[in-house]
Amino acid sequence: MQRSFRFIAAIGRLFAAVATSAMIVGATLGFAHFMQGRRSPTVANPGKLPAVPAGQPLAAQGAKLFSFNCAHCHSIDATGDEGPDLYGLTKSDTRLKAIILGGIKGEMPSFGKKLKDGDVQALVAFLRTLKG
Amino acid sequence: MNFFDSSLWDRLHGGSTHLPIALAIASALFDCCACLIKNENLRKGLHSAAFYALLLGTLGTFPAVISGLILTRWDIAGSGATLFHHYFVWPSFALLIALSVWRLIVRTNISRSAFYIYLALMILTAVLVSVAGFWGGEVLLGK
Repeated sequence: MQRSFRFIAAIGRLFAAVATSAMIVGATLGFAHFMQGRRSPTVANPGKLPAVPAGQPLAAQGAKLFSFNCAHCHSIDATGDEGPDLYGLTKSDTRLKAIILGGIKGEMPSFGKKLKDGDVQALVAFLRTLKG
Repeated sequence: MNFFDSSLWDRLHGGSTHLPIALAIASALFDCCACLIKNENLRKGLHSAAFYALLLGTLGTFPAVISGLILTRWDIAGSGATLFHHYFVWPSFALLIALSVWRLIVRTNISRSAFYIYLALMILTAVLVSVAGFWGGEVLLGK
């Protein structure tokens, strides 16, 4: 009798540990899912290259470079496909340039050999026009 | 300092992840050492250190996970190295919480067999959290 009571108590303790863990991890993942849904951008022209505001020739040049080099992974409207959504980027210009030039291992190819410094500056100027 | 600049979250995430990784490994090591030591006082001290290391490590996972989620803009999976990072992050996060809660409930009232199962899971957690750290490093610094 005492043995079976101890066994039930042990199962109860195990259940409490697993249930607490499942609740906390589930709540974290659920909250992240909710937040991600909230920040999805509403693009003006879905499926089209985002329009660059007038008077920004560098950004316009960047848009052209984007359509040739980046759109097949980030989609033509920059909302993401195989690669992530590029609206409302919060990384610094230096960090963005480093990522474009060096790539990300296993995720994004390096464009260091293909793009010149001016091209990367134009791309960053274009990315800055994409407001989340 | 811009609160929404991801370089801030890069640093916060990079800084905050090391505490739970180190404490999870330390907790597993303290318990392993306690198994090998015959001196009763030292053994109890090591189990106690392992217990507090586990609790602090688990508490430390919360800022690490939250800063990581903000950094990935709430993406719980991602792709490439980030996806590999998350494959190890979520199971180790769940295991750390479950093991901490279990150990908080049982305290020192643990049977020998239950303790060995716990220790095996704790070693697995330490390995998972270390591999998660490796892939996290690859995301931020890998070439």
